[in-house]
Amino acid sequence: MRLPWTKEPAPPRVVPADGDAIVVSGLKKCFGDFTAVNGIDFTVKRGEIFGFLGPNGSGKSTTIRMLCGVIEPTEGGATVMGYDIASEAELVRLNIGYMSQKFSLFQDLTVDENLKFYAGVYGLTDEKFAERRAYILKMADLEGREDELTANLSVGWKQRLALGCATIHEPKLIFLDEPTSGVDPNARRQFWELLYELAREGVTLFVTTHYMDEATHCNRLAFIYRGDIIAEGTPQEVKGVLAHDTILQFEVEDGEGALARLREHEAVVDVYMQGALVNVNIGSNSAADARLADYLAEAGYPVLHEEVVEPTLEDAFVHLVGTQGGRA
Amino acid sequence: MSWKRIKLLIWKEFTQLKRDKSMLPILFIMPVIQLILFGYVVGSDVRNLRMAVLDQDGTAVSRRIADAFSGSGYFKIVDRPTSEAELKDDIDGGKVVVAVVIPRGTGNSVKGKRASQVQIIVDGSDSRASQVASSYSQGVISNLSNELYPSAIMKRGSPAGVDARVRVLYNPTMRAVNTMVPALLAFILMMSVQNTMSQAIVKERERGTLEQIFVTPISRGEYLLGKLLPYAAVAVIQVIVTFIVGTLWFRVPFRGSVVVLGFGLMLFMFSALGLGMIISLTSTTRQQAQQMAMFLQLPTMMLSGFMFPIEAFPRWLYALTYAIPLRYALVIVRSNFLKGSTISTLWMQFMAMAVFSVLLFLFGLTRFRKRLAD
Repeated sequence: MRLPWTKEPAPPRVVPADGDAIVVSGLKKCFGDFTAVNGIDFTVKRGEIFGFLGPNGSGKSTTIRMLCGVIEPTEGGATVMGYDIASEAELVRLNIGYMSQKFSLFQDLTVDENLKFYAGVYGLTDEKFAERRAYILKMADLEGREDELTANLSVGWKQRLALGCATIHEPKLIFLDEPTSGVDPNARRQFWELLYELAREGVTLFVTTHYMDEATHCNRLAFIYRGDIIAEGTPQEVKGVLAHDTILQFEVEDGEGALARLREHEAVVDVYMQGALVNVNIGSNSAADARLADYLAEAGYPVLHEEVVEPTLEDAFVHLVGTQGGRA
Repeated sequence: MSWKRIKLLIWKEFTQLKRDKSMLPILFIMPVIQLILFGYVVGSDVRNLRMAVLDQDGTAVSRRIADAFSGSGYFKIVDRPTSEAELKDDIDGGKVVVAVVIPRGTGNSVKGKRASQVQIIVDGSDSRASQVASSYSQGVISNLSNELYPSAIMKRGSPAGVDARVRVLYNPTMRAVNTMVPALLAFILMMSVQNTMSQAIVKERERGTLEQIFVTPISRGEYLLGKLLPYAAVAVIQVIVTFIVGTLWFRVPFRGSVVVLGFGLMLFMFSALGLGMIISLTSTTRQQAQQMAMFLQLPTMMLSGFMFPIEAFPRWLYALTYAIPLRYALVIVRSNFLKGSTISTLWMQFMAMAVFSVLLFLFGLTRFRKRLAD
């Protein structure tokens, strides 16, 4: 039976096993007047851990949903594992794994029932399911807890089970949408070890995250902002935009107050809070020339500690967003 | 479209349903409560109305009149005041809701075949009880006058006979529960399907599982069937239970055809499924969906003719009833159930319901597609 709104299935075709995992060209999505993704291009190679970064509402999720064949692009297109996302969406979905920040397990099903469901969805044979089930239970450290309701698992376990369900059919490409949000640092570290293991097996990982320390775990990054990709490359290359800039870090009592004053200073390119500290990009000026500590002290914000720090990815992104904002 | 995946979705839905503490009561306790409430409370006849008899005549005839009231089962004589003042106290104090005054000379009038009059006093402050009391007493009196004046019927001929028969037909005991139980078939079906469907999709979106499902090979059509089929099956079971309880326990006579009734209810179910789907897709939380379903329930109950006769509505309100699918479903189930009406006499209702079902269901489907595209 075929309902009228479903597409005719594309005939299965053999795709080259060595092509790029994802090739995006001119991909664009508009919702009414709003352009969520503005004609982006990028390529993800096989076996790569590709970091897709950007603030909320920048077009990250929309891009992922297009690449997974959930929504159709307005213009442009992409191939995922060799399949066209618009005309072969079903084949795309059969060949990828997807895990979101919500760890979209059925909370009111048991561990085993969740596994059984996803195994059935991907049409695993009974033998294959038995093998994968044993592997996932071991990987997620859930042996002996098969009959427990998923809702009763704590976050780290849920996260690993979700990864297990998303990879039950052993896809060669996995999309991970903020997979570690809301998870404690220890569980995050463990989770990344699992991802590295998958990468070693040759699985391509497409990861979004807003943890910058996690971004450094990626082989390559793309940074999307307001629907445009504003930086792309290895973490080192992305940090390269700050090769000639100096980053100062200040410790002051009233960080927010100091921030406001620093914005008014002409030597300051970017300024932002880094935890309780204030990071200042003074461009090609030298720390001695800028004399920011004196400036802050005069303004009533005595500096407790001052340091020149190595630029991080976060510094690079703040800078990129800042210059992008200036351009717009 | 893979039947294997649909079966998997149905299995998943039933397993979840089994553990859902908020959905289970809606599905299995609610229909029972509704049957009891509507069957016994709304559908019941008023019995044992408290009555006072002021017998100023004191003859065998006057005692027979009083006995006719207490013997009918509708009235219970709780007091026999001896004066009008005492009677007034009974009514004012709420001791009785109805009173019969048998004036002096009634016995003689009956014996002499002259016209006689008894006075019925009804407490109008309780409008439902007073309505019932006055119509019941008229019935009792009319039966009584046939007994007391047998020759009068013979002389007056058919009109008197017709009058007596009409009273029987309008016997309120029969009427209320007989119209209520068939209506409940459609009502429970609607409530159940609408409530569960309105929760079904919004629940998955709230938890993020909807998003997950659509990055797997499960297609939209498969997902939708996996949702619709389990809840439609549950609703069908509820309807069957209601039917069995209605005919066996409440002893409502079934004179219709299962095919016509089933076809009508099936058509109606699609409109409820469509509406439930629309609610589920326009709300963002389960709570919102629940409120929306409840908001729609009241006007449906009031304006469909489920509880109040729509013929009594002012013209503008009556016009509004055309927009309520339950209105047509009620005509179909009641007429088929009680009178055995066929599709050829009910074709207007079937047409109207088909139009509603197609429109609501298709609109639900388009909302479903659109929701996923955004």
